[in-house]
Amino acid sequence: MKRIITSMLIYGALVFGGLVGNALAQTAAPARATGERVATATAAAPLKLTLPLKDGSVRFLVIGDTGTGTEQQQELSNVMFRYRQAFPYEFVLMMGDNMYGGEKPEDFKLKFENVYKQLLDDKVKFYASLGNHDESNQRFYELFNMNGEEFYRFTKGNVAFYALNSNYMDKRQIKWLDEELAKDTSEWKIVYMHHPPYSSGGKHGSSSGLREVVEPIFLKYGVNAVFAGHEHFYERVKPQKGIYYFISGAGGKLRPGDVKKNSPLTEKAFDTDMSFMLLEVAGSELHFQVISRTGDTVDSGTLTKQAAKPKTSPAAAAPVVAPTP
Amino acid sequence: MKNKMNRATNFVAGLLLGFGLAFSPSASMAQDISGQLQADPLEGLTVKQREMVVAFQERVKDYTKMREAIEARMPKLAKESTPEQIQAHKTELEKRVREARAGAKRGQLFTPDIAGYIRRAIKNEYRGAALKELRASVLEADTKGVPVRVNYVYPESKELVEMSPKLLLKLPQLPKQVRYRFVGRNLLLVDRENDLIVDYMLNALP
Repeated sequence: MKRIITSMLIYGALVFGGLVGNALAQTAAPARATGERVATATAAAPLKLTLPLKDGSVRFLVIGDTGTGTEQQQELSNVMFRYRQAFPYEFVLMMGDNMYGGEKPEDFKLKFENVYKQLLDDKVKFYASLGNHDESNQRFYELFNMNGEEFYRFTKGNVAFYALNSNYMDKRQIKWLDEELAKDTSEWKIVYMHHPPYSSGGKHGSSSGLREVVEPIFLKYGVNAVFAGHEHFYERVKPQKGIYYFISGAGGKLRPGDVKKNSPLTEKAFDTDMSFMLLEVAGSELHFQVISRTGDTVDSGTLTKQAAKPKTSPAAAAPVVAPTP
Repeated sequence: MKNKMNRATNFVAGLLLGFGLAFSPSASMAQDISGQLQADPLEGLTVKQREMVVAFQERVKDYTKMREAIEARMPKLAKESTPEQIQAHKTELEKRVREARAGAKRGQLFTPDIAGYIRRAIKNEYRGAALKELRASVLEADTKGVPVRVNYVYPESKELVEMSPKLLLKLPQLPKQVRYRFVGRNLLLVDRENDLIVDYMLNALP
């Protein structure tokens, strides 16, 4: 009975949130050079939340490769906002490529501030990482919360987040990562960066040079999950040596059909529309739900926290993945 | 038939992946990386090579000292700046450094000896498949139109090539204000704040 009432309340919140979100989207849509209004393709999509909304959980969103300023990016942003009514996440991790094709002040407005206005007005914080289209100076941008650093760490509840600059992984950064992780006592250690150490992308694929350097450090200090972008699609990679890897790089661009068919790396992939991820860390569980531009859930599930120091043998460190039906 | 083929492909792919994981370089790499983080970066070099690298690093240091002195005379860019403040700071720093280096020529930092050393270091580190992979990742980037000229700006609209971390560990270490950056096969030294091309060497990538 309690579950039914809870479900009804969530459904009500989603419908109401959807209405409010769309109304706001209509009024807050940024003016384009062409003068056209931003389409709200998501208006009719029914929303369904699979996340548990546990008390005291850490709730956040992941987007990547956003910086286009296109209508599609705006449409996805509208869905992000609608979901916030039911799943009140407090921050967003950005996987890089935050600004394509130029970084003048008007680019920051067109490709970021206007697009995410509803979320920024709601005091949602964005924590950016840098991609191969991003200048180092973005680290000073107040709304990216990088505190003047290309690589940085912050904590939320029992989770430590590490934003890396995978475009220039030099000795200074590797040393910093090694030292920070060595003293980190957080229950969860989550790393995010632009280039994916594992990927089934046809155009780019795995960044194996990067992986060779960072993976041993992740393993040494028990990093639990790694998020990346660069590939313009969504992929949940099969756990590699006990670590969970996700790619969420379709926040502003899409490379349709780019995920290699029958890739042995893929647990689940989505490359036919743009998407973002909703995440909730509660105790020893990480719940995720991946939403497309049309508001549909394209993947979801629960991951269990690995042992403190996963062994290098994949069999020994096999984590538990329970997809939501 | 098609299903059988798919199954066979999956099996082989799975086998290859399993094999790859079993013989993964991660464990030895962990020691490698720790070792490289601790090690004296000049260890293993001949006296002549050491001198070359140290002299190069001194020249880079001279550049950074000069640009730091210029930046110190400008209003400080806060850690929480607006895009307008970032743009203004970048433009002003670029203008002042460019003026201070008017007449700078190619090869003033990348002198022929260090350029030769870097070419050899890349050639020795990357062979066969590794070289092919490095080339592919460098050459896939859209850097067409980047002026390979000293004291010119690397356009902000252009992609930055992902620098191989292993290569960065092998090359002479730089202060944080300056970056190595590939444009095609050429290696540039770029100021990370104002994007000015400090120097460049041709055909660094074999």
